[in-house]
Amino acid sequence: MRILFHEIKKIFTWRILLLLVIANAVLFFLRIEFHISHFPNGRPSLDSYRIGIEMISKYGNDMDEEDRRDFKKTYEVQVQEANQYLQSNKEFAEAGVGTYEDFLNIDWENKEQAALRDKIMFEEQVDIFWELPERRRLMDFHETKEARVGTYKNGANPRQEARFDEMISAGHYQVYPEVVMENFKEFIFNVAIAILVSVVLIISPVFMKDRSRQLLDLQYTTRKGRELYKTKLAAGLISTLGVITALLIVYFGMYALNNTEMYFNVPIHMFIDSFSWYDPTLLQYMALTVAAIYMLGLVYALLAMSFSSMMPNYIALIGIQVPFVIAMITYGLTYLVTRIINIEVPQWVVPTSYSGMVAVSVLFIIFMWKREKHRDIVV
Amino acid sequence: MIVVKNVSKYYGNFCALNNITLELHNGVYGLLAPNGAGKTTLIKMLATLITPSQGEIVYDGKNIIHMDDEFRALLGYLPQQFGYYNNYSPKQYLLYLAALKGMGRKDSIRIIKELLEKVALSEVGNKKMKKFSGGMIQRVGIAQALLNNPKVLILDEPTAGLDPKERARFRNLLSELARDRLVIVSTHIVSDVESIANEVIMIKHQEVLYKDSVENICNTLAGHVYETTIDYGHLDAFRNRYTVLLEKQESGEMNIRFIHKGAAAEGWLSVTPSLEDVFLYEYRDEIRMEV
Ligand SMILES: Nc1ncnc2c1ncn2[C@@H]1O[C@H](COP(=O)(O)OP(=O)(O)OP(=O)(O)O)[C@@H](O)[C@H]1O
Ligand SMILES: [Mg+2]
Repeated sequence: MRILFHEIKKIFTWRILLLLVIANAVLFFLRIEFHISHFPNGRPSLDSYRIGIEMISKYGNDMDEEDRRDFKKTYEVQVQEANQYLQSNKEFAEAGVGTYEDFLNIDWENKEQAALRDKIMFEEQVDIFWELPERRRLMDFHETKEARVGTYKNGANPRQEARFDEMISAGHYQVYPEVVMENFKEFIFNVAIAILVSVVLIISPVFMKDRSRQLLDLQYTTRKGRELYKTKLAAGLISTLGVITALLIVYFGMYALNNTEMYFNVPIHMFIDSFSWYDPTLLQYMALTVAAIYMLGLVYALLAMSFSSMMPNYIALIGIQVPFVIAMITYGLTYLVTRIINIEVPQWVVPTSYSGMVAVSVLFIIFMWKREKHRDIVV
Repeated sequence: MIVVKNVSKYYGNFCALNNITLELHNGVYGLLAPNGAGKTTLIKMLATLITPSQGEIVYDGKNIIHMDDEFRALLGYLPQQFGYYNNYSPKQYLLYLAALKGMGRKDSIRIIKELLEKVALSEVGNKKMKKFSGGMIQRVGIAQALLNNPKVLILDEPTAGLDPKERARFRNLLSELARDRLVIVSTHIVSDVESIANEVIMIKHQEVLYKDSVENICNTLAGHVYETTIDYGHLDAFRNRYTVLLEKQESGEMNIRFIHKGAAAEGWLSVTPSLEDVFLYEYRDEIRMEV
C-alpha cells in the first residue's frame, strides 16, 4: 500500500502537472470554451432552447396529439400577439405591414420594409418575431415526423428497419428542439480529446522514467523485486482514473453553466437529431459517453504503459503513440463516444470495438509483464 | 553460503563469463579484475538482475532465482551505476527504497538516521540530491545497500568517485560489517581490497584465475619480484627482457620494480610481492592494450 502510494506520487510530479494544465488550457480554449460561452449560440438557438424548456415543462417526456394541438394553439396565440404588435406600431402600419402574414412576406427589394424588419429582428430583437419561425419549424417537424422516419426506413438494412418499426409502434417521434443535444455532443467530443491526450501525457513515463534513469537495478533487487512492475501498473491505472475524474469534474462544472438540466430526463429519441438503437434519457446518454471516456482512457493508459516498458527513449515513446492518438481523434472518437448508440453505426460495432481494444491492451500489458519477469536488466 | 556452480553468461554470441565455480562464505571477498573482465556480469547474476546462460547460483542449497523474494530479503546491493530522483532528498530516497525492502516506516526512519551518520551525510539528509557530488551520491548508494541489514552484501565498485578520506572510512565500515555476513566488493583498485579482503577473486579470460587469500596470491610470485636501479639509457632494453611493474625516476636514474622467473643478477634486490604486483603481472597484456 505504501509502495503504491509512492508510485502514484512519482507519477504526479510538478512538471507533469504543469504540462497537464497547459495541455488542457490550450485544448479548452481551442475546442471546448466555445461550446460553453456560446451556448445557446445566438438566435434562433436561444429561442429554440427556451421553447424546448417550455415544451418539456408542458408536455413532459412524451408529446401526444393533444400536446401538439396545444403547441399549435400557442403558435396561433403568438401570431395574434405579433399582429397586435405590428398594428400598434405606426411605422409598420404606414409601410403596409399590418399582420404577421405581411411581415413574413416582406419583400427584400422593398427597402423601407426590409429596414423595419431588420430593426425589430436585429436591433430590438423582439422575442416573438424570433420565436415564431422557430415554432413554425418545430411544427413542420411535427407534421412530417412519420414521413421522416419513413424516409430513413426506406434506405435501412433489416436490423435498422426493425428498430424504426419499434420506434414507430412505440410512438417515438422526434419533436423537441435539438440545440442541447447538439451542443452536448460537441462538448463531450472535445472533452474526450482533452482527456485522451492528458492520459497519454501522464501515463507514458510510468515505466520509462525509472528504466532510463537506471533505477531498476535498485528496485528489482529489493524484496519487492520485479513485482514492482505490477504496482507501477496499478499506480498508472489509479492515476488514470484520478485524472479522468478530475478533468470530468472541471469540464462538467463548466458545462453546468449551459443550464441544460431541464432537458436531462427527456429521452433522446424526442430530440430532432440522429436516430439511436436505444432509448436512454439525455442524462443516461451523458453517463454513457462518460463511461465510454473512462474505457478509452483506461485502454490508452494500458497501451501507453506497454509502450513505456518497450520503447528505447522518450522520443520513440511519444512518436509511436502520436498516430494512435490522432487516429482515435479523427476516426474513432465520433463512433466510440458521441455516436455510441447511433443507428447509422451497426449495433455490434461499438461493443466489439471496445471489447477488442480492451482485449488487445490487456494482452499487451500481460505480455510485457511476463517479459519483465525474466528479462536481463542490462543498461 | 553462496555457491556459483559452473556458471557461464553469454550476451548474444559474446561470452562474458565461462564456467565460473565459486564457494563464498561469510567474510569479505574482493573481486579484482581490470575493466571489462566480467565483474559486473558476475555481480548482476548474484543479484538476480540477469540469469546465467548456463549453471546456477545457490544460497544454502537453494537456487537464488527460485528463492525469489526470500533471497532478495537477504540482499544488499550497490550497482556500479544507479539512478535517483533529482528532487528527492537522501531521506526520501532511502524511505522509498526501505519501503521496497519491506521495512516498516518507523524502523526505516531510525535506521536511515544511523546510516546517514555512518556515511557522513547527516547534514545533507534533507537536501535535494540534484545538488550532490558524485561521491555524495555514491555514499547514499552505500547507505541504501545497508538498509535492510543484509546477510549478503554486494558492492560493485563502491569506491568509485570517493576521495581518499572517504575510501578509508568506507574500508573501516566494511571490515566492521563483514563479521557476520558475506560481502563481495568488486574493484579494479587493488588498495580497496588488499587490506580488508579475506579472499580475493581474480577473473582472467572469462574464468576464475585466483580465489585465495591475499597472502597466497602474493606468494605465487614469491622470489620473482625484484627492484633495481638502472641507467635511463638502458630502460628500453630492460623493458624488453623483463616484465616491468613500476618505474620511478630518481636523480637521473631509474628505480625499477620487475619480475623475473630465473636466477637473479647482481645488484637486484629481491622484494616481497604485493597484490598490486600480481595484478600488474597477470593482466599485463590487457593493461598494455589499454595504454
Ligand atoms: N548488455 C551487454 N551486451 C553485450 N555485451 C556486454 C553487455 N554487458 C557487458 N558486456 C560485455 O561483457 C564484458 C564484461 O562486462 P562487465 O560489465 O561485466 O565488466 P566489468 O568487469 O564490470 O568492467 P568494468 O570494470 O568496466 O565495470 C565486457 O566485454 C562487456 O563489453
Ligand atoms: Mg563493472
